[in-house]
Amino acid sequence: MISASRPTIYEANSVRSNSWSVWKELFADLRNSRELIWRLLVRDISTRYRQSILGYLWAILPAIATVAVFAFLTNTRTIPVGETPIPYVPYALWSLGVWQLFAGCLVNCTNSLVNAGPLVSKVKFPKEALVIAALGQPLVDFAIRLIPVGVVLHWYGVTLYWQSVLIPLVLMPAMFLALGLGFMLSIANLVLRDIGNALAVILTFAIFLAPVLYPPPVTWPSNLINLLIPFNPILIASQDLIIRGALSMPETFLFSSLLSVLLLLLGWRLFRVAIPRVCAYA
Amino acid sequence: MSLDPLITVEHVSKKYCRSLERSMLYGMQDIVHDVFSLNGTNGYLRKNEFWAVDDVSFDVKAGECVAVLGPNGAGKSTLLKIISGIVPPDKGKISLRGRVGALIELGAGFHPLLSGRENIYINGSILGIKKKEIDLLFDEIVAFAELEESINTPVKFYSSGMYLRLGFAIAAHLKPEILLIDEVLAVGDVAFRLKCFNHVNSLAKRGVAIILISHNLNDVSRVCHRGLVLQKGKLLTAGHLADSILSYESISHPILDSNMASRSSPVRLKAVQTLGHQGQEKKAFHSGEDVVVEISYDSHLTAGDSVFIIKLASVELGEFLSFTNRVMRQPIPIVEGGGSVRVRLRKLPLLAGNYSIQVHLYDAAAETFWDRAVPACTFDILEPLPEVWGEFHLLRVDHEWILDQGSVGSIESRPES
Repeated sequence: MISASRPTIYEANSVRSNSWSVWKELFADLRNSRELIWRLLVRDISTRYRQSILGYLWAILPAIATVAVFAFLTNTRTIPVGETPIPYVPYALWSLGVWQLFAGCLVNCTNSLVNAGPLVSKVKFPKEALVIAALGQPLVDFAIRLIPVGVVLHWYGVTLYWQSVLIPLVLMPAMFLALGLGFMLSIANLVLRDIGNALAVILTFAIFLAPVLYPPPVTWPSNLINLLIPFNPILIASQDLIIRGALSMPETFLFSSLLSVLLLLLGWRLFRVAIPRVCAYA
Repeated sequence: MSLDPLITVEHVSKKYCRSLERSMLYGMQDIVHDVFSLNGTNGYLRKNEFWAVDDVSFDVKAGECVAVLGPNGAGKSTLLKIISGIVPPDKGKISLRGRVGALIELGAGFHPLLSGRENIYINGSILGIKKKEIDLLFDEIVAFAELEESINTPVKFYSSGMYLRLGFAIAAHLKPEILLIDEVLAVGDVAFRLKCFNHVNSLAKRGVAIILISHNLNDVSRVCHRGLVLQKGKLLTAGHLADSILSYESISHPILDSNMASRSSPVRLKAVQTLGHQGQEKKAFHSGEDVVVEISYDSHLTAGDSVFIIKLASVELGEFLSFTNRVMRQPIPIVEGGGSVRVRLRKLPLLAGNYSIQVHLYDAAAETFWDRAVPACTFDILEPLPEVWGEFHLLRVDHEWILDQGSVGSIESRPES
């Protein structure tokens, strides 16, 4: 908090310095807003299903419905899907969970500033807390979805490798990617509300660009998609840990992870520069 | 308590854009400039831009309470947003020494589905206060807001008064060293407003620096010692509250089309001014002094009589009194070519403030309207300064206190008993 000994200064052109001190300030602010992020997170999660009867079932039902439809379509050969290394239903249910985690984080972060309303334009506080806290709800939903995934894996007799405990680590880059993009899109969405709507439309189609409901392509040129979309190597890595307990393409995974971290830092910095200019649009 | 100012505002300017499309374009331009550390566009105006706050400087010391006055759109709220750090200034610099509590919009940090209790904690952490600290202040906040019974109810069921009470209680109790309050108190009922002002007073006594925006001059008179008047972004007056109120009132008189009379009207008002008792032109008076109003007119006709209606108005009350020569049965002849007439307001008992004079002119039967001037001129009453626990509102009334002999006696006899 502001101490009486060191005055707080607000000055024209104060954002114009691209030095290391800017990054130090960024991380100091992050440390100071831990409690705020936690409170916002708890707030979002606890209010989510407050006026609802089915409550947390809503986190599970859409995924089960989607997988049921696709399982029917693949079983009846309406859609030809290649052989999955483990039975289709647990494969698709797990992949869909990871996809929904990523897409949910991206959508939630993008809408975080718009949803906060006058809080953005009328109260002074580190606004990135809103965007970071927006990760909480999709994470909780993901954790709930692990229950049906576990049941289905057991039902189909799939045994897990011990390496599966590394899955949270492998999913970190997906969160970084979503947060980095979310930082930039949340600002854009504050100025132009089209961004949020467009994102929802794009994501319904983008699911088919990732090996969620079909196994990862291995033949040229369709396997290019594994490289072009940074989310794909992360998804594939998580599938690998369940299927065979080792990464099938560690280099692309590392590259994707590095890209995610860079995007996160870039997004965060842009967010900090832009937020004072755009908070009037909230 | 230090004598150094807690809030220092130096040559602060902020510009806004009138068109939404352009403002988005400029916004992107500015962000690109910021990202690449290019020379900003802060210093000058682009098309459709205007200075919402223009070269404003002042400071607020510990224990001072400053009122910011000004008509709508003068830049008051923008100034408060810059001081609280929500938007950066385009020019100039602001230094703050101490923790800032700001109440800029009612319930801005409240989540409608959460209870008052949960919202207190969230609001506290938004303002950067740790849970432990809030735990200690929690009961005090709830008691001040008078929400003991509904603190566990979701705030979406609160009335706007309850919103205000909770919002104010949070901002004012989280140990601010600087308190910024935008026009939000107007929502509260009289009792709560009085409570707020008493609390603001006690904060000021403890050394908190306070800036208060309000259009209610009675309210600010309760707590503020100093005043700033903004007009179109510029600082017009800064000084003692009474001076600022005068200055604010003098720019706020509603101006009707004073040229109501058609060009063909045979009698037209030419000038209206206030004079001292010796006939010299005078614009500032003391309460209880004689005020002479001189009205001059042009005329194409001669008439044995006419009706002059004079009205006095203040910004706060609007027109509050009116008098005419008709009631006094004093005929006022109109002279061809023009002339003037004076009216003496004996021992005018108005309290300090800025007042305007309106003149309406009719023919003798009060059937034909000739001319009017709204306002014709303004004058100030300077002394005594308004004071809530002294003389306040409009008039000084000639009065004396009469004590009952018995009660006087009993008080005198008390020490002996």
